[in-house]
Amino acid sequence: MIETVLAITCIGFGCSFALAIAAKFFEVKENPKIGEVNNLLPGANCGACGYAGCMDYAKAVVNDDAELNLCAPGGSDVTASLCEYLGKTAEAAEKQVAIVLCMGTDDVAKRRFEYNGIADCRSAQLVGGGDKACTYGCLGYGTCASVCPTNAIEMINGVAKVHPELCIACGKCISVCPRNLIKLVPAKSTVHILCSSKDKGPIVRKVCTSGCIGCTMCVRLTKEEESISMDGFLAKIDYTKEVQNKAIVEKCPPKCIIDTSNN
Amino acid sequence: MIKLILIVISAVLVNNFVLSRFLGICPFLGVSKKTSTALGMSGAVVFVMTLAAAVTWLVQTYVLDKLGIGYMQTIAFILIIASLVQLVEIILKKFLPSLHAALGIFLPLITTNCAVLGMAVLSIQNKYTFVETVVFGFASSLGFALALVLFTGLREKIDRSNPPKAFKGVAIALITAALLSMAFMGFSGLV
Amino acid sequence: MNILKAKFKIHGGVHPKYRKELARNEETKRLPLPKILRISTTQHLGAPSKPVVKKGDYVKKYQLLAEAAGFISAPVHSPAAGTIKDIVAGTGATGTPISEIILETNTTSDEDLVGVFPTNDWNTLSPETILNRVREAGVVGAGGAGFPTYVKLSPPPGKEIQTLIINGAECEPYLTADYRLMMEHPKCLVEGIQIICKVLNVQDAHIAIEDNKPEAIELLSKYIKDNGIENIKIATLPTFYPQGAEKQQIFAVTGKQVPSGGLPSEVGVLVENTGTTVAIYNAVVKDLPFIERTTTVSGYGIENPSNVIAPLGTPYQDLIDFCGGAKDGVKKIISGGPMMGFAQATTETTTTKTTSGLLLLTAKEISQYESAPCISCGRCIAACPMNLMPAELSQFCEAEDFESAAANRVMDCMECGCCAFSCPAHRPLVQHFRTAKAFLRAQPKK
Repeated sequence: MIETVLAITCIGFGCSFALAIAAKFFEVKENPKIGEVNNLLPGANCGACGYAGCMDYAKAVVNDDAELNLCAPGGSDVTASLCEYLGKTAEAAEKQVAIVLCMGTDDVAKRRFEYNGIADCRSAQLVGGGDKACTYGCLGYGTCASVCPTNAIEMINGVAKVHPELCIACGKCISVCPRNLIKLVPAKSTVHILCSSKDKGPIVRKVCTSGCIGCTMCVRLTKEEESISMDGFLAKIDYTKEVQNKAIVEKCPPKCIIDTSNN
Repeated sequence: MIKLILIVISAVLVNNFVLSRFLGICPFLGVSKKTSTALGMSGAVVFVMTLAAAVTWLVQTYVLDKLGIGYMQTIAFILIIASLVQLVEIILKKFLPSLHAALGIFLPLITTNCAVLGMAVLSIQNKYTFVETVVFGFASSLGFALALVLFTGLREKIDRSNPPKAFKGVAIALITAALLSMAFMGFSGLV
Repeated sequence: MNILKAKFKIHGGVHPKYRKELARNEETKRLPLPKILRISTTQHLGAPSKPVVKKGDYVKKYQLLAEAAGFISAPVHSPAAGTIKDIVAGTGATGTPISEIILETNTTSDEDLVGVFPTNDWNTLSPETILNRVREAGVVGAGGAGFPTYVKLSPPPGKEIQTLIINGAECEPYLTADYRLMMEHPKCLVEGIQIICKVLNVQDAHIAIEDNKPEAIELLSKYIKDNGIENIKIATLPTFYPQGAEKQQIFAVTGKQVPSGGLPSEVGVLVENTGTTVAIYNAVVKDLPFIERTTTVSGYGIENPSNVIAPLGTPYQDLIDFCGGAKDGVKKIISGGPMMGFAQATTETTTTKTTSGLLLLTAKEISQYESAPCISCGRCIAACPMNLMPAELSQFCEAEDFESAAANRVMDCMECGCCAFSCPAHRPLVQHFRTAKAFLRAQPKK
């Protein structure tokens, strides 16, 4: 009986001794802070911070003094807890969401030809420049929706729409859109011009009845605020300013301006 | 000599640890997503199993049998295997940190990998000599490596081929493993 | 005997129905000058040329409209006398945005020609002068790529050219423009070859012709023999697609393999299209710029399929009207050949230096299917002339794993279409690879 216990204990000790030596010789010094910072992060591994996953951002925060407000899904909560843990202060970055600046659904926007190929926007763009008659508009094959990690994008009648409450502003949809239609805007902005066509009015009308025709009505109505300006024949909102004159929504002739504060 | 060759063929092909004996399914399903990770895991298992074969035989013969405490076999073997796995983990973390990160939780799970314990117990059961035990350990790990790498290649291709939604992921992997296992049945009767 | 059979067999290739009999036996016709020409400034590979004329200018025939913008670029000249109406943005045959110079033509009278200075004896010209004429004439690869010819004829130092191959294969179905050129202008072709040989100091030249053009082989062989020319031979090639692809043709004739990502000059070979060679002749001997080319208008959807010489900037609709108009039931209009050409959404697109064909295809000539998953049958692998594995590559592309696609050499794909042609599941393989290549090209260089 006693030999049994002794024998097994000896084996145990022998193993632990060998392990202790190995641990000493092969030690890898790692900052324990990295693991703790990693636990504060959401763990989505989306890459919006610009690093390769949450662990990578944690390493950068601890080792390279990275900015503490880079986590888009975590938002100001994560920034605050990181600040608390590391004893630093940082400004919380403003919450942003993605928006698709096009409302040319299949009932208002024409298609130039019958497309018979892969149902992917990047592939479709390579075939004759895309089958949408408007060369700037949303092709509607849903590549942005398929890469969205939170399923925030819905394809409605041939045009993509981002649901802002689900969007974590990771930027994946922006990088895949072949027409660069999706932009990151402040979440608190509610007025948007849903058109990206730089063509002249008559050309736009031929291909889409919801496109911006460059009539400059909205620019004139917001002259004091200076919140809208013309980029060629396309009206553009300056998101650093708040659009106060909400009358532009009704007055816009093709009705391409929306105000989401009513929803 | 002939016996050693037979042990090798038997352990690798005929009585493959994963596909015929159904031991070691956990890393088989868990690490079979990428070929590079699978090869790394195979390397770790070869190291652990060969060393484990040697050390467990020695402990069995010179400690357990001598003292007549054969019933402590499981505990003693698990002690040894666990320490060996910890050793591998320490070494990997020092010299191959990327592989260590890629294997993640599955590295310490080699401890509870029934293939290693199974190999140790089987070699005692079959009353192999020291050399035969070590060869058996090495060959079994090669068989594990073979099954793992084959399965990884299959799984990579199948995941790319877009199976129906109900089958995606583990479901189709299990079906594939079953088919691969049936294929290996063709080796029965070889030795 | 100056005819040799090409010895080397390449891997892959397909045998589509050639249908060359539609536009093969008639003489090439000349299109009456259209009222409006819309000349693109992107007629070649490389930087688009810069217009040197503006709205309202009056130009003479052959006058420079747009100058070369950089080393890899080419000038564009006016195919007719007339007034510049405007310079606008437009869409090219491939769907990419281009800039078009709109020219309202007058009838060409002799007073409206910019002076040309023909040199009948090119033997007196130095290679530098010859190259300059080729460059100033705006000669580019007429086979489809549009690479500026004078750049191709100036290989980098250290790369000697030992063999010249003139590409008379014309492997795409329906197209017979090069064949008619060989039948109707053997003198221009052969002299053009000799000019190139002089510039590059090459001793050995081959005219590569597929064996489905026996009349051209015989005619050229006789012409060469009758004129006592020793250094040009005819190499007959087995007929299949893509026998006319540069790398495949080099292998078939010489047995040399151009390295992946490399140029033919690396194995000491130069390949030139027949149309380009004739353009070189025109540039050097007659001092004429590249302002018109032969286009095969064919398909079961056109009333009178034929070969038409038309000035650059001719709208496709004018070509269609000249050939009797479109029949009912045209399902697809393709610019180029059916395997590698581009489907058109409108007939307002205009011809360029590389428009080799305009096809009006009916339902029985095209196929439209729902594509299915890959069944790993391997037909695409057997058909690929670049020795790639289209089945694997398309699975990587579908799974958006473009890095693995790059590791499996998707950048070597020449988009010939043999794989998609042979696929029983009707998968859009070439489109997958184009998507992968576009993605990989857009990646920042490491």
